[in-house]
Amino acid sequence: MAHRVDHEYEYLFKIVLIGDSGVGKSNILSRYTRNEFCLESKSTIGVEFATRTLQVEGKAVKAQIWDTAGQERYRAITSAYYRGAVGAILVYDITKRQTFDNVQRWLRELRNHADSNIVLMMAGNKSDLNHLRAVSEQDGQALAEKEGLSFLETSALDATNIQKAFQTILTEVYHIVSKKALAAQEAKANASIPGQGTTINVAETSGNTKKGCCST
Amino acid sequence: MWGAPAEPADYYEPGKTLSVRKWQAAFAPDGQLDISKTLGRIHRGGIHPTIRGEVWVPSRLFRSSEYVRRKGAATAGTKHYEKWKSVCHEIFPVVGSGQFITAPVITEDAGTTTNSTDMVKELSNGPLDQRIINWLLLHQIDRDVGYCQGMSDLASPMIILLENEADAFWCFERMMRRLVYPTYRGNFRCTESSVGVESQLSHLAMVTQVIDPKLHQHLEKLGGGDYLFAVRMLMVLFRREFSFCDSLYLWEMMWALEYDPDLFYLYEEPSSSMNESKMRSRSMRHYGKKEHPATPRSSRLDDVVKILNDITGSLDAKKACNEAIKLHKKYLKKAKMT
Repeated sequence: MAHRVDHEYEYLFKIVLIGDSGVGKSNILSRYTRNEFCLESKSTIGVEFATRTLQVEGKAVKAQIWDTAGQERYRAITSAYYRGAVGAILVYDITKRQTFDNVQRWLRELRNHADSNIVLMMAGNKSDLNHLRAVSEQDGQALAEKEGLSFLETSALDATNIQKAFQTILTEVYHIVSKKALAAQEAKANASIPGQGTTINVAETSGNTKKGCCST
Repeated sequence: MWGAPAEPADYYEPGKTLSVRKWQAAFAPDGQLDISKTLGRIHRGGIHPTIRGEVWVPSRLFRSSEYVRRKGAATAGTKHYEKWKSVCHEIFPVVGSGQFITAPVITEDAGTTTNSTDMVKELSNGPLDQRIINWLLLHQIDRDVGYCQGMSDLASPMIILLENEADAFWCFERMMRRLVYPTYRGNFRCTESSVGVESQLSHLAMVTQVIDPKLHQHLEKLGGGDYLFAVRMLMVLFRREFSFCDSLYLWEMMWALEYDPDLFYLYEEPSSSMNESKMRSRSMRHYGKKEHPATPRSSRLDDVVKILNDITGSLDAKKACNEAIKLHKKYLKKAKMT
């Protein structure tokens, strides 16, 4: 049964959660995949991941979400995990300005190590701590627009926008992937017959030339 | 103070575990300790919980000379620790003050700034002793290696087990030394493009290739030939994979094995770094053994990571260590043949 359920999806998308340590990446993951939140969670060492299957425009999509260590020192290792990711959620903590200022560094990191078509989203986490806010929602929005990212403020603690964040990024990924798949299909359909013809023609011509060469 | 989680009654096996009686018998009438008499027991069955703290005292289990004076070393350690703490307190008043810090404290080896917020954040998240913060700062000041996530995982057992703060600190310090210095494991030594633990990963790859070429090929095919999925295990010595009691058992065993002079001959390697790294790889092996039955299911690298994430806290250290020792012998046998 478990196996059947496991294979009941049409798309598998790998999403990575990145951002400074302590911004709440692991709790975003546990809130989304297990509906759990832990105030005293341990720091992530290396990488962990969890999955959740959801519906995106009528299709079953399995989201495979990779949670990475945020600490700078681990970056040499974590960047290896960007490979194959179709989406990244860049998380900062709205109560810590520095984690927001570091967003640029994370973007650079992604540009250097991830696929160039990766879909990016920025999440300002810990929105439940509004009284300690150090980054305004407008600042977040402005940066997101400038960098072309989608943006949401989230709270893993009270579950605000967690579902929405994943739904948004996965839908965006789905659109790109299904568009690409369609384009590839069309290209294949258009190209298949003439392609074969060309090959045959080339072979024949070369054969003829050779013959001509030998006979003369 | 002995706040360690309760251990199962049958956890300690008579005749295998280092008992109180055997420990006391290792001391000569003049107070000299011959630790070599205890090592066999420790790596066969760990240390009885009532004497664990006493055996762990760094001047004993961590010292590499065979005979250690019983009393002198301990008091010198305490003095050294207190002196060191006060020196550090002058540089960073936060040491020993019981306060959390939020300002950058020290410059990392890579030239970037270590923000100790990371550290305090992590520590304040867990039910950890204020002393750990002191230690991590002391350690950070002492070595040019800044705080690395996971270090506090290694510090907490010392706090719980050793009543004397200075002993506990030196115990932690010895352990960190093994994990920081490149001549030992160098786990926490990081540059922009590499993390120290990676050299252990390549040892692991090498050992797996010899012991279980099929498993190695399988992992390579899945794109896991770099063994990055094992980072956490090696980084914090299985502290997260094993239960509290089991990780202590594993550590004791490792220390006892590393102490064993016979093992140096087994390796036929003059350099201690090779000894340590191979040792580590050997300790690593039990995970490979554990993992093996699951491999037919692991058709993707993600499955490998998932399997490993799922064993958190559920590995049996005793079984794992026995398997590891068998695999180690197998490795040595195979390595000799080739």
